[in-house]
Parts: sequence; structure tokens; C-alpha cells
Amino acid sequence: MQQHPSITYEDGGKAIKGELVEPTAAVKLNESYCASCSLCASLCPFEAIKRDPETRKMILEIEKCQVCGICYSSCPAKAIDIFYYDLASLTRYLESARQEYNSDTLVIACKGSSPDFNAVANLFGVSKFVPLSVPCVGRISGDVFLKAIASLGINKIYVLACDDNYCRFERGSALTGRRVTVLNLLLEQLGFGKDVIVLKRNSPKVKADRDKCIRCGSCVFYCPYEAVKLNGTEPASFDLELCHGCGICVAMCPAMALELEGWEREYISALISRLCSQMEQPKILVFRCQWSTFSLLDSDLEPNVRLIDLPCAGRVDTFHILESFAQGVDGVMVAACPEEDCKLKDGSREAYHSILALKGKLDQVGLGERLHFCFVAPRYPQNFAQELRRFKEKLEITIKGG
Amino acid sequence: MIVTELKPLNEILELVSPYFTVLIAGCDGCTQPPRSIKEAENLSRLLELGGRHRGKKFNFKVTTIPKQCDSHLVATTLGEQLQGIEAVLSLGCGAGVQTIVGMFPDLTVLPAQNTLFIGAEDREGGLMEERCVACGDCLLGLTGGICPITRCAKGLLNGPCGGCSNGKCEVDAEKDCAWYLIIKRLEKQGRLGILGEIRPPRDFQTVIRPGRIVERPSQEVK
Repeated sequence: MQQHPSITYEDGGKAIKGELVEPTAAVKLNESYCASCSLCASLCPFEAIKRDPETRKMILEIEKCQVCGICYSSCPAKAIDIFYYDLASLTRYLESARQEYNSDTLVIACKGSSPDFNAVANLFGVSKFVPLSVPCVGRISGDVFLKAIASLGINKIYVLACDDNYCRFERGSALTGRRVTVLNLLLEQLGFGKDVIVLKRNSPKVKADRDKCIRCGSCVFYCPYEAVKLNGTEPASFDLELCHGCGICVAMCPAMALELEGWEREYISALISRLCSQMEQPKILVFRCQWSTFSLLDSDLEPNVRLIDLPCAGRVDTFHILESFAQGVDGVMVAACPEEDCKLKDGSREAYHSILALKGKLDQVGLGERLHFCFVAPRYPQNFAQELRRFKEKLEITIKGG
Repeated sequence: MIVTELKPLNEILELVSPYFTVLIAGCDGCTQPPRSIKEAENLSRLLELGGRHRGKKFNFKVTTIPKQCDSHLVATTLGEQLQGIEAVLSLGCGAGVQTIVGMFPDLTVLPAQNTLFIGAEDREGGLMEERCVACGDCLLGLTGGICPITRCAKGLLNGPCGGCSNGKCEVDAEKDCAWYLIIKRLEKQGRLGILGEIRPPRDFQTVIRPGRIVERPSQEVK
């Protein structure tokens, strides 16, 4: 990372001075270190890195890259630079968090496996710990684990990952499993004891209240994984083996009969309420697909902006958007992955149509300008901040005029 | 199902603005998508927001009825919920609205929807199209399952008018020529012979409007 003290960069509004500012891409290959071993290419779930047959150099196609970080965490030559959660930023975070939380226990959770640390804490039976939430644990290299144990005063690490077939980045979860096994063996041999790292898995899925089902068949149609069936006279039945936890059915159900584990309606409503009371005016609430952009570990939001991270834009429910406006939020922004990048097939597209329809209704009561939908991808880290800034400016004009 | 469309919100606001405590009643029945409890909640918020703009406050309550066109279900579902309610805003079709008034004649019941047609939903295509005009003398068995009374702009019973162009109707180029579809369908099924028989003009009095069927004579309550 290069130092450019004269240039500032905004992520969610706060300027991070003196740090790297300029990469347009979130992942870069550093030719001078690369040994062309092709490990990255063999692990990349999206075939974004390939070896050029003629030059024999590794080529990164950033448009295919989903910024899972697996290549970064696996490269033996440290030849990959990544904008998010690299060793340096993770180290910095762990150093300060170690002090702040005053604990020698580290809990790393994949965003896909749990929305926050309350449930995670219960799962592992810990109450005091240093929390680290990352989009996919597959991006955490062995170095991070070892550094935490060896020099950052961490004595126990709990890792919550998704199941292998649930992992949004396809290989991240499986890779983590193997990594942890190997690291535990190593740590045991080095005298740190058995099972220094404990790995558990959790894959949040749909919960159906069959008493409320009105058998309209909406969920059957919208499920991208054909995990729902409507048979005979029974309420809709869900095959949890097939369910990928996208939440589209939950957002679409007209009878409010469905919930997504971890992101239940009441949970989100309570979150909206709490965030609303924290915000200054003009209040902007962002409903964000948690794969569309990643927060930096050391970034703060402006006092009038708050985020709700969801497992997929498809989980964004018009109910919650209207609830936000009713609670006094001035502007709502919905951020989704570009359609072709959607980790859950149709989530981004369904969200787009749903929000567009709601915008039409809001237009009828003069509030259409208060709802903004955008596609953002983490491969271009400035994307999200740019969209947010644009929306803010537009909102300010709207508020002045209205 | 019965295809409906939400009225423009300004029009609904006009309808409800004389009232303060309004019960929004959804319907779990056939409209697509069902305007059930979520739709009722969303509508209450949209109207509240719209009301703010006009300096008008409301106290909305929400509920849903399994079928608004069933008098018994309406009576049992709504019966307990009408304390203090000044008006009911119905998300049902026209039949639903009228059934509610029928069961609670002193109640002001307002329609939030416009009822459009009997239709089918093409999920993949993302559209709803009229399929049946309730003529009361179904001839779908003779037209390969495609209704010319509904889908032919001229309601012809014995073949195309000659204005068909590229399979589209001369009255509305967005719409298919129903007879083109019928002929293609019967051809594929090897049943074109059916069209040999010329059908007489339609009986327009199969159902004298308003339609009525007596299921059983009403019994005197003893």
C-alpha cells in the first residue's frame, strides 16, 4: 500500500488520510513477487486468475473477481495486494481491538453465517472476546491465525463459517476447514495445546410458519433453488438441504409467513428503530447486500448514515423500507451486486424490480426521490462511497425543495 | 384469478381523508399477488406518508380476510375488529368490497383497488392477461383452449377477420390474433377439422346481469 498524504479517500464518509487511496481495483497482482506457481488460479472459484500460456505470467481479470480473498490468503509469495482485510489492516485491528475488548479470545465469524455476534457468542459459550466479522473466512490466511497467537496475545480462536455447500464464494468455507485442521496440528506440535482454534459451522436458512401460509405459490416461483413445493392441500413445504438462505421468498411472501434465520423481521425492525435514534439529520439508511461492498475495519460512518447488511439484496423487504420512512428516515439507499455477480442467482434482479415498483408508489406520494437503488461491486472499492455521496447530494436538494 | 390494480394513491387518500381510524382489510384469496397482510401494512405506511404531505393524520389498523367474497368468512373475521372503526379500506376486488358492506350495512367500505378482469398470470413473462369474460357458454373445447370471445378484439366465433398481421391483431398490434393462435394450436393437435362446423351467433343472455345462482333456497330461522 502506498502513502499519499495529500489525497483523501472517503469510505462511507470518513476520510482516511495518509493511507492508500488510489487503486481502482480491489485486487492486484504484484508481478515482481509472483513465481507463477498458479496456486491462485487453481483456487479461484470464479476463474478470474489465469496463467497466460504465452507469457507464462498470471493474469487477473478484475471483472470476474468477486474479491473473496482466497487468492490473497493462499499466495505463498505474498504477490497479491488486496484492498480489504489484508494482513496489515487485520493486524492493526487486532492490536487495538485486543485492548478495547480486553480479552485473549478471538472470535472470527463469516458474515454469511450470522448477522451479529450475539448469536455467535451463545454458540461458542463465550461472553468476552475480540470480534472479527469478515465476508468469508476463506480470506483469513494462516498468517493471521499464527500472528494472533504468537504476537498479539490471543490464546483461543473460535471460527464460525458457513457449510461448504452454502459458502457464497464456493471454496472459502472448505478451505477454512482444512486450514484450521493444519494449523491446529502445527500449534499442538509447537506446544500451544490441542484445538487452539475451534471451528463451527452455521448456515442460516428459511423458517416457515405453516399456519400463516395462504398457498399463493409466490415462494415456489421465486426460489432460485427450487427448494419450495406446494403439494396438494398442505402449506408450502421447504427442503432445507436446497435452501441457500437468500431470503427472496421471505421478502416476497404476501402473508408474512416466512422468516430468514438471523435476519428475522423483528430483528430488522428493532435494528431500524435503534439506528434511527442514533442518526442525525438528514437520516440516511442503507440496506446493503453484504457481498456488494465491504466495510473497512477502521472506517466509521458519518453521523447521519447507517447500514443494515443483509445476506442478499433479495432479502430487502419493501415492508422495512416503508417502516424506515415511517420512523423518520429521510432517505433510503438499497445497494445490490450487479445482476451477473449475484451470489444467489436471482436476488439482485428481484430486488431491483421490487424496489422499482415501490419507487413508483412512493412517487405517487411525492417521496420517490427518497429511495435510491444502486448496483455496487467490491472489485471497485470507491463504488459504494461514490453512490452514497451522489445520493446524499441529491437528497439534500430534494429536502430543500420539498 | 381476478386481476386488480391498486388505485392511484392520491385517489385512495381522497377516499380516506374524511376519516381517522381506518381498518385496511387485505384478502388472501385469488388476486395476484394476493393483497394479504403485508400489502395492507405497506399500504398503511404509504398512506400515512402521503397524509403527512397533506397535513392529514390517520390511525390505520390492518387485517386480512381469507376470502373477502365469502360472507361467512367476512363476518367471522371482521366481526371482532370493528370497534371504533370509522371506515374499512378494502384490498379485495369489487366483489369483496360489496360482500363486506353486505355483512355490515352500516359500515363505510372503500375500495383501494380497481377490478380489471379474470385472468392468468404468466410468471416468467411477468404479465397478467385477461383470459375469460364469463360469457356463460364456454366453447374452449372447440377452440383448442383459447377463448376467441375474450382474446379476439372483435369476439369472432368462426375464424379470423383477415386483418391479422404477423400473428398480431389489427386492432391492437401488441396483442396476438386469437384466431391465429387457435388455428396454430388445433393444427398442432391435428384437430383442425373442428373448425369445419360453423357456429351460430352467441347467446348473450346466458347470464342476465347481475348474475345469480341459487345454491339452495334460504331457510327460515326458527
